[in-house]
Amino acid sequence: MTSTRQIVEILRRELLIERRAGEVITIVVPFAALALALAPLALPVDTDVLPRIGPALYWLIALLFGLQATMRSASQESEVSELEAMAGVDPAVRFAGRSLAAAVLVFGVLVALAPLMVVLYAPAPVPGWPAIIPSALLLAAGLGMLGVLAGDLTAGLRQRSALAPLLAVPLGVPLLMGSAQGFDYLARGAGILTWTLLLLATDLVLAIVGVVTARHLQEAKL
Amino acid sequence: MKGQSKLNRASQWLALAATVAVGAGLALAFTSPPDALQGNFVRILYLHVPAAWLAFLAFGVTALGSVLWLVTRKPRWDRLAHSSAEIGVVFTAVTLLTGMIWGRPVWGVFWSWGDARMASTALMFFIYVGYLGLRRAIPDPDVRAKRSAVLGAIAVVQIPLVYFSVYLWRGLHQLPSIRPDGPTMDASMLTAFLVNLVAFNLLYVALLSARYRLAFVEQTQPGPVAGTAVTKPRLEGAVDG
Repeated sequence: MTSTRQIVEILRRELLIERRAGEVITIVVPFAALALALAPLALPVDTDVLPRIGPALYWLIALLFGLQATMRSASQESEVSELEAMAGVDPAVRFAGRSLAAAVLVFGVLVALAPLMVVLYAPAPVPGWPAIIPSALLLAAGLGMLGVLAGDLTAGLRQRSALAPLLAVPLGVPLLMGSAQGFDYLARGAGILTWTLLLLATDLVLAIVGVVTARHLQEAKL
Repeated sequence: MKGQSKLNRASQWLALAATVAVGAGLALAFTSPPDALQGNFVRILYLHVPAAWLAFLAFGVTALGSVLWLVTRKPRWDRLAHSSAEIGVVFTAVTLLTGMIWGRPVWGVFWSWGDARMASTALMFFIYVGYLGLRRAIPDPDVRAKRSAVLGAIAVVQIPLVYFSVYLWRGLHQLPSIRPDGPTMDASMLTAFLVNLVAFNLLYVALLSARYRLAFVEQTQPGPVAGTAVTKPRLEGAVDG
């Protein structure tokens, strides 16, 4: 079986597990939606500020809950990982397949939250908003890889639920800046190429790190 | 036994040298002339800048130890990486705190989000707090060394990002005062600054040496602590399932 075929199979398996468990759809997305809905209650009564901060909150919540979605995938992983290692699947291939699956889940979270943000915060219409879609895809890919890396670093640990986000969130800041600032520039009618390139560069670094360290992390399973 | 005694004596001399050097550095920091614009607040920078340099140095050594561990698998490199990361986190905290104390009178705010150097330093702090948290969470020494070596090698990308942030995103932070075309500060201030820099480097070596020896004892004599009152719950609580 070729590496590409293995990646596709791992992607399919991960998404199948999520379809059966439905954890992202039934828990992560509703919790993220709740966070988006509750944020205005913590702000002053002056609601004029909401349309301006809505998109920023959206990207922030996407980062935090998107990572949560990727952790779900990593938490059910130990036995499957052993089986695949025994079957001779390259750790780098496993990283690629799992990251792709995590990216699909993060993109799902982004898509689910977007209309809610528009309804709750009523931001000013952004002409040419579809230009942000590539940025959202790059954000999802980056968060997917970051989540898998953080999941592997904390695999099997009881403190994982707090430790994995502590490791992943600071490293995910370039992704947050790339997407949030890109959207802001788009809203102001400016070009977003610099921010898209920042997202792309971060994704490339994460991909290289993930592939290079995959074998070490595979060996370091508890 | 004789070698151990020599090592202890060398560490004591090192600690003494660091204490004297830091004392001299502080004395110069308090007696150097005030800055034309910042007045006496400039004295904080004699602590702030060397602390920031030490944080970079410490995390650089952590990365080096991590990579060397991945290549050689010798426990000494893991101990070096761990010891240096702890010192780096302390000095990053000192950098952030002294920066905020200096920022209030000079910039008018404790914290400015418009300043990329501050934000990136805070991120670096949290990344290495996570590194230490990860180490503490893993009871098995081999697994701990593997995972933290991977993280220690990755996290080092923060250092150039923090250093070059003042060039990449112009914020409130001033550019370095010592440049290739010559320093931009008065000679007496430069002397105080350089003495503090040397003193902090000595302090780093002394702290690293002490922490490394402690790590060595922790790794080579992993007996129960206080009966098993400390060790047992930690080992039981660390691994899931």
